[in-house]
Amino acid sequence: MFTFIYSLKYSIVTTIQIEQEPKLLPGDFAIWMFIFMELLVFAIAFLSYAIVRVQNVEMFNEYQLTLNRELGAANTLILITSSYFVIRAVHAIKGNNIKGCIVWLYAALGGGSAFLILKSMEYYDKFSQGISLSTNTFYMFYLSLTMFHFLHVILGMIILLAVAIKAQRGAYSAQDHIGVETGASYWHMVDLVWIILFPLVYIIR
Amino acid sequence: MLLLTLSTYAMGKLGFSGIAVVFFLLLTAALKGTFIIRDFMELRDVSLLWRVIMYGWLWIICLAIAITYIISL
Repeated sequence: MFTFIYSLKYSIVTTIQIEQEPKLLPGDFAIWMFIFMELLVFAIAFLSYAIVRVQNVEMFNEYQLTLNRELGAANTLILITSSYFVIRAVHAIKGNNIKGCIVWLYAALGGGSAFLILKSMEYYDKFSQGISLSTNTFYMFYLSLTMFHFLHVILGMIILLAVAIKAQRGAYSAQDHIGVETGASYWHMVDLVWIILFPLVYIIR
Repeated sequence: MLLLTLSTYAMGKLGFSGIAVVFFLLLTAALKGTFIIRDFMELRDVSLLWRVIMYGWLWIICLAIAITYIISL
């Protein structure tokens, strides 16, 4: 009797512990180490911009007005929508809907492509006016911050494309979808960084 | 999130400035970031450590930016 009660109590305690166990980070743990490092680098860049601006407020406010806010806002909407498509891809593969996962991943890649096209148009406009990294401190930060993010969008798209191709080859399923979550986590990080970058560089004055 | 983005754009388009606007824009960015971390990255139920790192990164960045803008006034 005592043994039965003890085992019952042990079973209940174990069940509660399992239920309360926090979830693991989605995707491969290594990508999260990479994400944390990337976020640290972007944090330093954002703070550098804000601190240097304190000593050059008039210049930053003047040249910020030359930026194309419409393209910046459109790119924000595109990245958020693209991130939503990636969530749909993750949910699709969790439901063993491989075809749906592939479609949503390519939709997200379409969003990423649209971002790159709009950003390239913005850069073309600036470069054709003779603006470069050495024009002034504001443009140095504007170009270096946005181009650094631009490179991350390209890397995110390469990762998503690799995941989509693997999904087409049947590498993922409801039981094995860690690769899809890994790509998704990186893509959301790219979105998260832009959420701060856009108001900081284009809007706040 | 789309509406918050449009409100951010509208603030810039209308040329609003001042500390209240800075706080509003940073709060808007922090809220959007919170949605991304919680719902997009699906970190709602992960270990407290990871949530502290991610939310800490977001809110400390926004707070630090706000402080530099207060100093520059």
